[in-house]
Amino acid sequence: MSTTSASAEATRLLPRWMLFVLTAVLVALVLVPVLYIVLASLNSDVGVASGEFWPSSWSLDSYSRIWTTADLSTGILNSLIVCAFTAVASAVLGTTTAYVLVRYTFFGRLTILRGLVGLQSIPGTLMLLPVFVLFSSAGNYLGVTVIGTRWGLFIAYLTFALPFSTWVMVTYLRGLPRELEEAARTDGASTLVILWRIIFPLSLPAIVVSGIFAFLLGWNDVLFASVLTRPETHTAAVALQIVGSSQEGGALPVYSQIMAASLICAAPVVLLYLAFQRYLVGGLTAGGVK
Amino acid sequence: MATLAPPEQKTPTERVRRKGVTEQQRPLWLLTPGGALMTVVIVLPLILALWISMIDLDQYTLRRWVEAPFIGLDNYVESFSSGLLNSIWISVSFAVISTIATVPIGIAAALVTQNKYRGRGLVRAVFLIPYVLPSFVVASVWRTMLQPDGIVNAWLAKVGIDGGLWLSGPTSYWTLILVEIWAAWPFIYLMSLAALQSVDHEVHEASAVDGAPWWPKLRRVILPYLRGPVLLACLLATLNHINNFTLPFVLFGAPAPEDVNVMPMIVYVTSFQSLRFGLSAAMAVLSLVLIAIPLFIYLRAVRLDVHEEGGRK
Repeated sequence: MSTTSASAEATRLLPRWMLFVLTAVLVALVLVPVLYIVLASLNSDVGVASGEFWPSSWSLDSYSRIWTTADLSTGILNSLIVCAFTAVASAVLGTTTAYVLVRYTFFGRLTILRGLVGLQSIPGTLMLLPVFVLFSSAGNYLGVTVIGTRWGLFIAYLTFALPFSTWVMVTYLRGLPRELEEAARTDGASTLVILWRIIFPLSLPAIVVSGIFAFLLGWNDVLFASVLTRPETHTAAVALQIVGSSQEGGALPVYSQIMAASLICAAPVVLLYLAFQRYLVGGLTAGGVK
Repeated sequence: MATLAPPEQKTPTERVRRKGVTEQQRPLWLLTPGGALMTVVIVLPLILALWISMIDLDQYTLRRWVEAPFIGLDNYVESFSSGLLNSIWISVSFAVISTIATVPIGIAAALVTQNKYRGRGLVRAVFLIPYVLPSFVVASVWRTMLQPDGIVNAWLAKVGIDGGLWLSGPTSYWTLILVEIWAAWPFIYLMSLAALQSVDHEVHEASAVDGAPWWPKLRRVILPYLRGPVLLACLLATLNHINNFTLPFVLFGAPAPEDVNVMPMIVYVTSFQSLRFGLSAAMAVLSLVLIAIPLFIYLRAVRLDVHEEGGRK
């Protein structure tokens, strides 16, 4: 406790001992399982299966063997490709859409704004079947293969990420002064020039947030990826889920490898959060979704 | 998503009210890419879902689904005899219990990180970990920890408790709730923290001058500030719990044990394992109706358009 000035004292809401106890309990609640994941990934498969906390033998084996146990490299590559494209497309489309919604009025504008918030809560399980039928019809009737390709996944993720990306940009662009745009417009700049030269540079922090959320939506999805992909286009989430569910029924346990794979799959997400923590927390509370 | 009417439909009053907005050259065409995507991947599938829910679609008729026989509301009737009511009850109770349990944890976490101290940044980062981890990772990890011979049972055995089976049977319901609580409380924490930080410093000082002890001060002065934002967060959290497919799917696998057969699971299994697509669509449509109630309240509560209320910034 470094600050003990009177004003800090005034905002202190709990007695000191309680602050300490609560913080300790909450930190332990989070860190004990996290510590376990790390320890288990350094343990042997048998050690984890027999319920050890401290490994009886330490090794990095799990980190090298998981790549052959599961098709994790294909999964991570696919996830990275699909999610990166989703992130960029969603951020760009979200910004242009939000720009029109914030700066212009037109019939149906409020409906769209309401839709942006409402669509975030549409259950994925409701959309999955009709999207699947529609995508496979594109194969049957139009001769375009969508199911099993990265494109299908990309289009699905982009669409589901777009409402949130747009909403993040709407809340940000509202606070942006319009004097610069007006000056540019008097000088004869077109809307696209204004977007490219003024709006994009000025709203870069928010664009990063909306892009990252789109990336995470794709990275974290299991539902669509489990149905819309083939083994070659599996995402990391599906690869991990398949190894996990194959553990039942007397197969050799690979629990330590699953822990290693979990950490590998979590790494990009955790790195993104750590790098952009300040922006992301603001975006979270503004949009109110994960 | 609404289709856009031509610009001529704007009323004169609107024009007067929003003076700052450029009248000419509204680049509405910029909405077309997003609008097209929304139409193809959300609006059309929603209509299609309604249609599928009224036809007898299975693996034999799937390829030529346009010609599948129309059977009206039969799928809806069958939903209720296929365990949908049970799933609704499991989903709703699971969501409500999870939400209620996360509120005190989230508020407590917000209270303890409200004041600056050395290391607070680190504590805040730790609090976000469960939230940051992807659901499928959380589920895989807990699935491993909760194996019959796993770490949880090993520890419980040390204090003389027989943990038993966590991932099957009636216990699985509480397992789902516990893991969901572990993963979801930081959301309430974030929302409470944002609300706490909007409390004016004068409020703190005034109550400090009064010399109020911590509990009455907290209850009477501070918590009322949290009520609105936390209620809103609860609504949203409940919706997220109800829609959560990844956690039960990865934690228990499909088909899930009877006791954790939540709505997303029953819809998924009916579609992609039983291959009764029509029935599954009917269930999905019914679950949307259920979700629409809290969603409607949320949409009414959230402020959509700051401009129209607060004027031009």
